[in-house]
Amino acid sequence: MWAIETRNLRKVFRPLLGGKPIVAVDNLNLQVPAGTVFGFLGPNGAGKTTTIQILIGNVYPTAGEAFVLEHRAGALAAKRKLGFLPEKFQFHDFLSAEEFLRMHGRLAKMDGAKLQKRIDEVLELVGLTERRKSKIREFSKGMQQRIGLAQAIIHDPDLVILDEPTSALDPLGRRRVREVVQYLKERGKTVFLNSHLLSEVERSCDEVAIINKGRVVKQGTLDELLVNRSVVSIELKKVEPRVLEAMARVAHKVQPIDERRVTAEVANEDTVPDLARAIVEAGGALMGLQAHRETLEDLFIQIVEGEGK
Amino acid sequence: MGVIVALTLKEAMRRRAFLGTLIILVALYGLTFLPRAFKEAFGGDERQFEIGVNLAVLFGVDIIKFFSAVLAILLCSGAITAEIERGYLAAILPRPLHRWELYLGKWLGVMLFSAANATLWTAMLWISVAIQGEPRVEMWQALPYVLLYPVLYGTLALALSSFLGASIASMFTVAAGAFAYFSDHFLRPIAAFFNVKLLQQLVWLSEWVLPMATLKRLVQARVDTILPPGMGDAPPFAAEEVLRFLKPEVQTLDVAYVGVYIGVALLLGVTIFWRRDVQ
Repeated sequence: MWAIETRNLRKVFRPLLGGKPIVAVDNLNLQVPAGTVFGFLGPNGAGKTTTIQILIGNVYPTAGEAFVLEHRAGALAAKRKLGFLPEKFQFHDFLSAEEFLRMHGRLAKMDGAKLQKRIDEVLELVGLTERRKSKIREFSKGMQQRIGLAQAIIHDPDLVILDEPTSALDPLGRRRVREVVQYLKERGKTVFLNSHLLSEVERSCDEVAIINKGRVVKQGTLDELLVNRSVVSIELKKVEPRVLEAMARVAHKVQPIDERRVTAEVANEDTVPDLARAIVEAGGALMGLQAHRETLEDLFIQIVEGEGK
Repeated sequence: MGVIVALTLKEAMRRRAFLGTLIILVALYGLTFLPRAFKEAFGGDERQFEIGVNLAVLFGVDIIKFFSAVLAILLCSGAITAEIERGYLAAILPRPLHRWELYLGKWLGVMLFSAANATLWTAMLWISVAIQGEPRVEMWQALPYVLLYPVLYGTLALALSSFLGASIASMFTVAAGAFAYFSDHFLRPIAAFFNVKLLQQLVWLSEWVLPMATLKRLVQARVDTILPPGMGDAPPFAAEEVLRFLKPEVQTLDVAYVGVYIGVALLLGVTIFWRRDVQ
């Protein structure tokens, strides 16, 4: 079962006073398996926010379809099972943490003792039990982010969409978010995570999709995407064509950075000594070499830059 | 929808609107004691005092009309687009409620707040003249029509706020009100006495665009009985059609038109909000 599914989803914004239409989402096909922590990545302007706004029913697609937990995106049935933490928000800060959660619980059709019990649970989960009576305006940015997370899960939704949940948080706050994500995962919930902090995504997500220019350019589990490749950063006295040719015979991909630095992608760490030997045998003056396993950030940059060319 | 109504009421209280209403309340209270103060300072008989109280009541009703409309414009003009832009609705819109519930919840919240204020002000006005021995039941009879002022202006401002920012929505609402006022108070006499057809049509049109003059007549019909002698009488020298145009009679369908106008503005606002992208 897909928690989220989009089929040829397209959104074009047409400026009111004429001007060029902006294609924010362009035939986006996305499948998010239920019960996974799913990372939704892409550079600024890739169409991530618009896609999320379509999924929560705030924006109407120009063409194509979007489904949330097997209901059409924006339908009340879908919204009942959906929790959302927006990236940019302003909460009603004259309410206390508890009043705020009660209001959101009621908006999610909860009531009575069940709601009170749930308020206690989520306040505990986000570490704000002690501040339950404090007004939100007294909260720090990080605490506001945490109360935002609490409102997103107050009604125990099956799908939680988190839009940049760690952007305003310090390392402790980020750890708290990771714990909440883990808590949701353990309960079989789907978490759809939009974040620029790729290291966070790499630590939390089972699967990711990278989108660019409104389309999915790569989707898969982290194991599938981050194949056992190593990226080697090499420093030479001078980058010469014959050295690059020798490196290309050993590495999958060789990328000169400047006159002295080159990155190379090799199949695995065992190939690194072969690469060093090839450089020396080609007459290259090797000044430094450092190998590291490919990260999500490497993959992201590679894909986005590749798309740009 | 009840949650949105309650939230809107709390927001209204928070925006110092309540403080403003208290100041108006005290001002209204003070106003009604002016005739007594004048009587004690400069003398005068009971009839003069009674006329003074009547004038204070009439002026007080006008103040209630004005401030309840201003309050409704202030609260409604920033209720939709401005709240979207500020991020207040970001966590509320994904909740399982229809957009029309959110819209009507806000409308109802503001209207309840405005109605409560206008009733409170009227009560204060009535009490302060009653304790001076001059109770005026007319202001209570006019209250249902006075309450239509915030409903009319608030509904219009909310409809505009469904696609415009707070300042522009309030500016257009105030401009519509100013046009209706100017048309009724300045253009109407000129159009009537000089029999300028184009101006008469413009006055007629302005009343359709914003039925403020209609509302004014509905209120006047309830409080005219306490007008001081001579005030509000038709000029003795004008022709009958001029007088009719100058002071049209209240029609049975006047309230119906105001009701339809409010209903259409509400429906228009809901439709725009329902159909628009929110981000």
